[in-house]
Amino acid sequence: MKRAKILCVCGSGTVSSAMVAGKLKEKLAEKGYDVATVESSPPGVESALSAGGFDLIACVSPVYEEFGVPKVSAVGMLTGMSEDKVIEDCIAILDAR
Amino acid sequence: MSQAIFEELVDVGVETEDAIDAIRQLGTRFEQAGFVKDTYVEAVTAREAEYPTGLQLEDMGICMPHTKGAHVNKPAVGVFKLKSPVTFSHMGDPDTKVQAELVFMMAILNPDEQLDLLQKVMKVFTNRQAMAEFKAAQSKQELLEVAKRYIDS
Repeated sequence: MKRAKILCVCGSGTVSSAMVAGKLKEKLAEKGYDVATVESSPPGVESALSAGGFDLIACVSPVYEEFGVPKVSAVGMLTGMSEDKVIEDCIAILDAR
Repeated sequence: MSQAIFEELVDVGVETEDAIDAIRQLGTRFEQAGFVKDTYVEAVTAREAEYPTGLQLEDMGICMPHTKGAHVNKPAVGVFKLKSPVTFSHMGDPDTKVQAELVFMMAILNPDEQLDLLQKVMKVFTNRQAMAEFKAAQSKQELLEVAKRYIDS
């Protein structure tokens, strides 16, 4: 299994991001990735990223600033409507490392 | 798994003027039933203004206003069918508006401990069949039964 570290961002930094983090772990595990996730709210992103080692930021609520870490819009996982696309976007970033 | 759906927090035909009124009315029900403190309504309203919770599903619009921790006494998920759709802003893009027919209001005490519950709710959103059943429920009893079946089991 390949390792990956993802920051999940939502408004409260807890509820929606926890929902998406769980789903991401499950789906990416099917693709061979062992994913560690950290949750944050948008104001806490910079500080969360300072811990280092993040491969991508999964945004449920939008994150407007650039932090040098690739962002994926992940709200499609909550609605189920573009779940596959979200996973594809993540895989594209992780595979390109 | 512990119960998250309660009769006092499920209803149909709820009349509200707008998103703020919806949160106020429904949040007050949570408060009166003892699930949350008197700071809950304000906290959820403030959160909604900054980080909206509208979601456009395949067949309908919904919203999931919530807050956590300090304002909550006991975790619960409220399911309310609105008499007529109310405008909420979309979670992923606040400039996009969603006409919400169903409100899934949540009081989460500790997201790590209630992760199972959150995953269940998320599974409901992503399940067209389940959402169709929620939408089809005509009475409080029917909606309660559907909610218990999908979220409490």
